[in-house]
Amino acid sequence: MATSSSVGASAAAASLRLPPRASSFSSSTLRFPLRRPAKSRALAVSAFRKLSEASPVPIPPEPAQPLPDEEALPPKPGVYGVYDPAGDLQFVGISRNVRASVEGHRRKVPADLCASVKVAIADEETPDRTVLTNAWKSWLEEHITATGKAPPGNVAGNYTWVGPPQRPPDLRLTPGRHVQLTVPLEQLIDRLVKDNKVVAFIKGSRSAPQCGFSQRVVGILEAHGVDFVTVDVLDEEHNNGLRETLKTYSNWPTFPQVFVGGELVGGCDIISSMAEKGELAPLFQK
Amino acid sequence: MMGSRGTSAVLSRAARMRQKLQSALEASALEIEDVSYQHAGHATVKDNTNETHFNIRVVSSKFEGQSLVKRHRMVYGLLTDELNSGLHAISIVAKTPTESGS
Repeated sequence: MATSSSVGASAAAASLRLPPRASSFSSSTLRFPLRRPAKSRALAVSAFRKLSEASPVPIPPEPAQPLPDEEALPPKPGVYGVYDPAGDLQFVGISRNVRASVEGHRRKVPADLCASVKVAIADEETPDRTVLTNAWKSWLEEHITATGKAPPGNVAGNYTWVGPPQRPPDLRLTPGRHVQLTVPLEQLIDRLVKDNKVVAFIKGSRSAPQCGFSQRVVGILEAHGVDFVTVDVLDEEHNNGLRETLKTYSNWPTFPQVFVGGELVGGCDIISSMAEKGELAPLFQK
Repeated sequence: MMGSRGTSAVLSRAARMRQKLQSALEASALEIEDVSYQHAGHATVKDNTNETHFNIRVVSSKFEGQSLVKRHRMVYGLLTDELNSGLHAISIVAKTPTESGS
């Protein structure tokens, strides 16, 4: 499936959960709309057809049957809404390639949810993400105003149209305990924190931190939309000896520990305090 | 607050921490709160849930001109023995008198 459509749905899920207060978003699903604060184009939305003005294009139920021609369903960036056979809007997404996204949906989603699609293609060849997001918001708003409810596929926690948000895996310092290290662990740590802009050494995995402080740090970093890697200091198989070595390396006795640009920024207290004061975002932009 | 200073032969960890921080930092305010109960059943604490987690709020003019990382290192440095003997985590708020508004 085209990744851009999953982004659309994630954004959908997030904004349906908690609309206006961007600062309270904590989930990774927020990334798309918030990552780059809008190079704003005030008229972006008006460039798209409204949902009510777009005409439905039928989707053949059998994946073997070809989609309608590219005139009706172009392989171009835009916003689209998928309808079930009863004519109820099931899902609104955005994509860099609407045709490919619709093709992906009909292979994954049950045929009784995927009968036709409305499409509005962007005027530009490569529109800014904000332009697409705004179009998506405007279609959703239009639909919610008209019907009083959000399309089921855009409701938080509905993974029919797009899978749950993917989190990158935790980094491992070594292939496993059975492998003899040719480089001291300290040097591996040094390389890791210098090669990655933001590194969080946490207890437990990124998707399931085992300590409240680690969990809070992961939440704060995700809410900032910054790309960061995590290393599980409790993983004795792949990070054996890391806890003690890292304490010496960083001259810091506890976990989590967050490094930015190779420098220790601090643990949970400092990260929380910097986040509250708005000092983290500028640090990540450097 | 834990411990009654110096009256018993074996001081509680909280009392030892208080002594160490107070004398080295000449703290103008120092609060030490034992929150170990909040971490009972914690993955790495196992069976020892006594005096493992503390919140510390300390105000000292010695923090003047020091980054947060350095301030925390000063506190950690003073508590090395405790960290090596079962103190698991401390949450630190380290301010200068000016910052604390006192």
